[in-house]
Amino acid sequence: MASVSEMYDVGWEEMRDKLRKWREDNFRNSEQIVDVGEELISEHGSKLGDDIWIIYEQVMIAALDCSRDDLALTCLQELRKQFPDSHRVKRLSGMRLEALERYDEANKHYDAILQEDPTNTAARKRKISILKAQGKSTEAIRELNEYLEQFVGDQEAWHELSELYINEHDYGKAAFCLEELMMTNPHNHLYCEQYAEVKYTQGGLENLELSRKYFAQALRLNNRNMRALFGLYMLAGRGTKENKCSVKAVEEMLESMQITMS
Amino acid sequence: MPIQLTSQAYCKMLLHAAKYPHCAVNGLLVAEKTKDKKKDSHSEPVLCVDCVPLFHGTLALAPMLEVALTLIDTWCKENNYVIAGYYQANERTKDSRLNQVAEKVAARISENFSESAIVMVDSSRLTMSCFEPIVLIYDHHENKWKSREVTVDSFEDWSEAQKITSALLENRCYENLIDFDNHLDDLRNDWTNPVINKSVLDLC
Repeated sequence: MASVSEMYDVGWEEMRDKLRKWREDNFRNSEQIVDVGEELISEHGSKLGDDIWIIYEQVMIAALDCSRDDLALTCLQELRKQFPDSHRVKRLSGMRLEALERYDEANKHYDAILQEDPTNTAARKRKISILKAQGKSTEAIRELNEYLEQFVGDQEAWHELSELYINEHDYGKAAFCLEELMMTNPHNHLYCEQYAEVKYTQGGLENLELSRKYFAQALRLNNRNMRALFGLYMLAGRGTKENKCSVKAVEEMLESMQITMS
Repeated sequence: MPIQLTSQAYCKMLLHAAKYPHCAVNGLLVAEKTKDKKKDSHSEPVLCVDCVPLFHGTLALAPMLEVALTLIDTWCKENNYVIAGYYQANERTKDSRLNQVAEKVAARISENFSESAIVMVDSSRLTMSCFEPIVLIYDHHENKWKSREVTVDSFEDWSEAQKITSALLENRCYENLIDFDNHLDDLRNDWTNPVINKSVLDLC
């Protein structure tokens, strides 16, 4: 099977930069990360310098996603050798146990980390992920709420909680979580748009009115947000005469989008 | 009354589930519109010739679903299709239960097509070789969704479906599958998946 560098005609620096981009943007394209990362580590490991440790971590997590326990263990062992007492590496050991569905052992791992360091957010979040993986949504929601009482600024956690609530069809509470996110990220069009979707799903005159406003706001923040445009279109035709003008405006925007996108 | 799946419909469903192993995915099944409504057409199975992958991740939000249903309905009318069913694969592999989202969407579909079905994908049995069908088919009986036994007859040609799905999974063709979410991210992405359809045709 041809190597990644042969297939795409890239050098090791480009492979390393691609991995960095995926890491920074938090992509979950695990198969690609495993392909590129495995080759980078085995063929060009010596050239990476200190970057290699964070790449080991990234590749290990991707390997767990792809059921490549052999690769995950190799990466983990290298990290353990280099950072013997690290909590960050212990968390990776726990994640490997989670991937093998050995949840009780994984929980013990995380509890050990939390005993030494009660403020370790990563271990607490992994424990909540275990509850989610086991299908215990109610407990996961409860634990996540407790976590957020302590760590109010954790945006990843607020977003996760909003998703958990949406899956339980508790749209009111999901909206609350998204409101927290919008307060701290007023320029983020994605949170506005998701909030609008939740309000739309809740239904009722007031919520639809709010939904329309937030779709419009999302569009103001990013005029290429198609979901916001479609959402506004769905809501624009309802109600008063003024809204009929906005239908026309939306249709014109839609047409210009089709032209610019194709 | 019962539905039958073609190779194209079955493999695109599985490719969608394989593309997003960490998310719930859902989509619609379409069948060719038949003109006759004679009584004996009730015993003829409804052949779902294609599927349209819809969303991945959060499935329980209404607005984009409504947009998708409207657009796909228009597309169906242009191509003499009708939306005949709904498929879903849950986020957790061990969970292949019918949930509220599936029931709500299927209820909407039933307004236009009385013999609609729900297909749940059992991800825990998804393998590269696809040696057995991994879908659960539910029909609407007396206000409840009841599962039906899935046999070789649930497919137009099971051995062909198996061969094609397995080949496409091995070649990682799911990386090129476009769902409605991808389309909303970039309008150039075509949710009718002409590239994958052509690959399926070539393998037939």
